[in-house]
Amino acid sequence: MMRKKLECLGLKLPLLPTTTVGSFPKPPYILEARRKFAAKGLSAEELKKLEERVTREWISLQEGIGLDVLVDGEMYRGDMATYFANNLDGFEISGLVRSYGNRYYRKPIITGEVKWQGPITVDWWRFTQGLTSKPVKGMITGPYTMMDWSFNEYYPSRREACLALAKALHEEVKALAKAGAKIIQVDEPAISARPEELPEFAIEAMKIVTEGVDAYFITHICYGAFEFIYPEMLKLPVDNFDLEMSNSELDLVELFRKHPFGKDLSFGVVDVHSHVVEDAATVEQRIRRALDVLKPEQLWIDPDCGLKTRTQEEAVNKLKAMVEATRKVKGLKNNYNGRQ
Amino acid sequence: MEILTASTGSYPRIGDRPEQQRHRQAYAQHERGEIFDEEFKRVQDEVTREVIEEQLRAGLDVVTDGQVRWHDPISHFTRKLEGCEIDGLLRFFDTNFYFRQPVIKGKLVRRESISEHEFTFAKEVSSKPVKPVVTGPYTLAKLSINRRSGDFQSLVDEFAGVISQEVRELAKAGAELIQIDESAILKNLSDFQVFERAIQKVVTEKGKARVALYTYFGDAAPLYQKLLKLPMDVLGLDFTYSPKLPDTIARLGCDKDLGLGLIDGRNTKLEREKQVLDVLKLILPVIKSKRVYLNPSCGLGDYLPREIAFKKLQNMVSIAEKAGGLT
Repeated sequence: MMRKKLECLGLKLPLLPTTTVGSFPKPPYILEARRKFAAKGLSAEELKKLEERVTREWISLQEGIGLDVLVDGEMYRGDMATYFANNLDGFEISGLVRSYGNRYYRKPIITGEVKWQGPITVDWWRFTQGLTSKPVKGMITGPYTMMDWSFNEYYPSRREACLALAKALHEEVKALAKAGAKIIQVDEPAISARPEELPEFAIEAMKIVTEGVDAYFITHICYGAFEFIYPEMLKLPVDNFDLEMSNSELDLVELFRKHPFGKDLSFGVVDVHSHVVEDAATVEQRIRRALDVLKPEQLWIDPDCGLKTRTQEEAVNKLKAMVEATRKVKGLKNNYNGRQ
Repeated sequence: MEILTASTGSYPRIGDRPEQQRHRQAYAQHERGEIFDEEFKRVQDEVTREVIEEQLRAGLDVVTDGQVRWHDPISHFTRKLEGCEIDGLLRFFDTNFYFRQPVIKGKLVRRESISEHEFTFAKEVSSKPVKPVVTGPYTLAKLSINRRSGDFQSLVDEFAGVISQEVRELAKAGAELIQIDESAILKNLSDFQVFERAIQKVVTEKGKARVALYTYFGDAAPLYQKLLKLPMDVLGLDFTYSPKLPDTIARLGCDKDLGLGLIDGRNTKLEREKQVLDVLKLILPVIKSKRVYLNPSCGLGDYLPREIAFKKLQNMVSIAEKAGGLT
């Protein structure tokens, strides 16, 4: 288990630490401010002030709910790939591309050599960590996902594009660690897109990102298809896998029964795609199922994915249910241990 | 030999210019109940007309209706079926596009025709042949969740029944070439028998039309020989996944019309003429049929911005003109 590593980093986390995946819903005043900014009706400084205000609000909400490891909520980010593409050398942004139904987005285009220009997320991390005594995760989008979610006009192959991104993102990770981030999450929602590429270069890319950096690394993976990359994915050099579980009907638990999960796991226990707020009893059941195949020392509790598509009320209530369920499970565990 | 340029399927329904937002706005208004079905259909008609016109302007010989009315290639054919519900979003193969996954709960019954009126409309507004596209029975079954009793084989058979009806109606409505998309078979070679049986069933309904079988988003080289033996008239292949495909074709030959997906439908980078011509030089001499289609590796509508889609097609047409000199 990786708890030792956490302790070495000076982090004392309770058993079954509760956290979130990264994004929170943007309240109407932020959406409005971002629109105004895009239409040049608001200055960058004015927008930033509002983003700082809302980040403060999210920190106090997270503390109030009782989460153990906090995030900045990504109020200043739009799309998770485009945000980094906008801040790295070598990218342009495309016209509108369809994502599903009536949803469209602008996709990054790699048009030149990808390079790190300087810190991207570090100031926000520092600002947020300054607001709380709880640890705040550093959050970046991983090289494989950046590659898979971009058009590639420059590099001869997906592999080369991915490894170039890994080198650039390694600099960001180093800068985060240098600023004091002890837990760094590298989001790789796309990593199961082409399972054959995991051994070919995705693992190598993650190694480049994390190598030599003294931090506890989490990678967030969603959109299913784990059955094609498990157990191979355990070779990704991170300490903790943050997986979408409740939306995949928890079939991963069966997978882990067959091939034990050897690292820490952030277990997604609330569905972020549904408006329905799970009751604590449902969440509790999910946690107990996870504990059938995992040791308590391995397990972190969080939602399936970022909560940005939910309303603020839904997001907060889902997190409350999650924290309440975790407390219940721990209470019973403690009693049990007490009788030993 | 004749080299025809063709669309492979979808075409972007919106663009970046203000006047290209109509479909998006109408979709949102329709969803919010601010406009009736009729008004939304009128906008879909308009945009269909527009994307056909754009394909013709790019110089294509064979166009599609752009699939402007489709939600996605899977739910479009399952939405109107009894015995089936539409569920959450799932990644469409390895793309950045998401489809709504059907959940099969009972026997599949087609309540109404799905593609015929779409084809009829497109045919009337196009000055060049329109190729209707249907998603194949195997892919529909493979990308569905089967929650009823009964095995996978029987589900594929029932989907084959549904798609046969579609093909029969399309042929009757005057389609000269009907495309069946079966990308799911590329990564599930062990299902080939089930797949083959479904394709045979669908093809028997083609009447006077010719049938094209298209696969994309995977390497078709290992399956090439088996695919050639299927009873269709055109075989469409995605070359972007398959470094060995040109050699495989050169080695094994070809007695069918080929749909050559040499234009990457998922990357903004424009193809270099030489790169495409080199492949054509290698494979055209071994093709025994009189006709090939040069087309994008997949539909463009869900993968490229509108402006780039148009440039890709224009570039493809100009390459095809040069390639004419090779034959």
